[in-house]
Amino acid sequence: MKKLTVLIGLFVVLSLGSGLYAQITPDESLFREAKLLVYDKSWAAALIKLDDLREKFPDSPYAGQALFYKGECLSGLGGRERDALRAYKDYIRLADAKPSLVEESEGSIIDLAFGLYENGDAPAIGDIERRLGHDNKVVRYYAAYKLSLVSDKKAAAKAVPILSRIIETEKDPELLDRARIALLRVSPESLKSVEDRKPTPGSPRMLKIRVWNKGQKEPAFSLNIPWALADLALGALDEDDRAELRKKGYDLNKIMNELAKSKESILRIVGDDGSVIEIWIE
Amino acid sequence: MNKCALNRDDWAAYLSGDLEEGERRTMAEHLEKCPDCRAETDETRRVLEKADAVKAEIREAVASVNWEALPAMIADRVLTNAGQPEKALWAGWLRAWAFPLRMKPVLAGLAAGLVVGAVAMYFALKVPGPRSGQDTGYYASGDFLDRAELTMARRNTLDYLEKSQYVLLDVFESAGEGAGGPAAFSSEQARDLLSRKKYLNAQLERFQMAKAKAICDQIEMLFLELAQISGDLPAAELGRIRGFVEERQLLLKINLVKKELQSEI
Repeated sequence: MKKLTVLIGLFVVLSLGSGLYAQITPDESLFREAKLLVYDKSWAAALIKLDDLREKFPDSPYAGQALFYKGECLSGLGGRERDALRAYKDYIRLADAKPSLVEESEGSIIDLAFGLYENGDAPAIGDIERRLGHDNKVVRYYAAYKLSLVSDKKAAAKAVPILSRIIETEKDPELLDRARIALLRVSPESLKSVEDRKPTPGSPRMLKIRVWNKGQKEPAFSLNIPWALADLALGALDEDDRAELRKKGYDLNKIMNELAKSKESILRIVGDDGSVIEIWIE
Repeated sequence: MNKCALNRDDWAAYLSGDLEEGERRTMAEHLEKCPDCRAETDETRRVLEKADAVKAEIREAVASVNWEALPAMIADRVLTNAGQPEKALWAGWLRAWAFPLRMKPVLAGLAAGLVVGAVAMYFALKVPGPRSGQDTGYYASGDFLDRAELTMARRNTLDYLEKSQYVLLDVFESAGEGAGGPAAFSSEQARDLLSRKKYLNAQLERFQMAKAKAICDQIEMLFLELAQISGDLPAAELGRIRGFVEERQLLLKINLVKKELQSEI
């Protein structure tokens, strides 16, 4: 117990010592308080502190960063998306803007523009489209991904060249899968031509799944996707179909391994209700 | 031509054993006495025997037909033969096919029955199956793609949390050593994780991901701090971040959310 008391005492003394050594200035103190409120998502309280900082200490080295966090607060508050957009754009223009925060701001601008566009502000999409040509590929890729999700298919199609490029050049599997799904959503034929161009000797190219309900000639569910997304596809099967597979004792990973080994085979599962699930590879 | 008044429809039934006992006996007695009827019955029997053999052949033929591709094949043939004297060809084929049937109504009836039966059998027994060579393009429904993205978000969130743990532990190690050695490394990783988090945001908004969202958002704020650090991180700053992580029990929360996500994947 005594040892513990000594340790705590030592820790307090060291903390005080380092605190004195650091000599926190009032603007820094205000900035730290504001950031703690941002961590806790107390957006309104944080916003007051940040505005206070910018007003009282306009020349503070934290005044610029305060603009970025102001954007975070306005974005988090809801209903003030345009103000948030402005705050981020103002931050990006600063001479001493930090690259990591600039990248974050660009991403937030894309998100905000997407939300505004989907809520009827048509010109807002311009903020996304312009970022398709951004120098930073992180920004460029995210703009393409987000554009692929817009409801206007003509606008979404503008993302196709960047998404195709991601599939052709990137190695990161997470990024590749996202680009594939985005292309599948916007332009399946573009995905097909990109995948066909990629040399994959000996490996399967396409996974097909059909689910027929009893007595129906046309399948209730049809899927043709690149083999690269096969694992994801089985994970995303309808819960009833997955339950049917489990009930029959099929392990999804095992199925994929079996199918990959014997490319010609077809897995046919007939459910108790007469429905038929077929999975095969071409 | 047979002039007996007996119903010819009964012959087939007689031969296939479908007549009642009394009728069968009458028919048998008549056939013993009437050579014309006996001759026609013999011919009908031969036709029925051949029809049985043909039935199996038709079944085989029907099974071998690619019914999906048939309309396209017929259309191709018609287009290919467009320049030929089509009328004469068809007329000749029809005459050749129908003439013996016109002369033999029993045979005609049987053939028609077999064709109708075969077609009905195809539709009744047709089993859905893969159609190789067709629909070679990709397609997936919007619902499916949404589910796929949710599945991917779960996996990627799990990955994000695991990597976040490593970065935070890295920071802790630095704080323990009292120097900012690996700060630049952590900063780079933090920036990478920040860019990954953006892709997760939309899926994290779903109610299934609420707990994951809360922890991911907190980590994101920490990484914003780390990502800004270049060069050595002052010990005081490291201590501050460590204190924050401990106070919010972030590592414990990360582990709990990870377990939840693992059970859902």
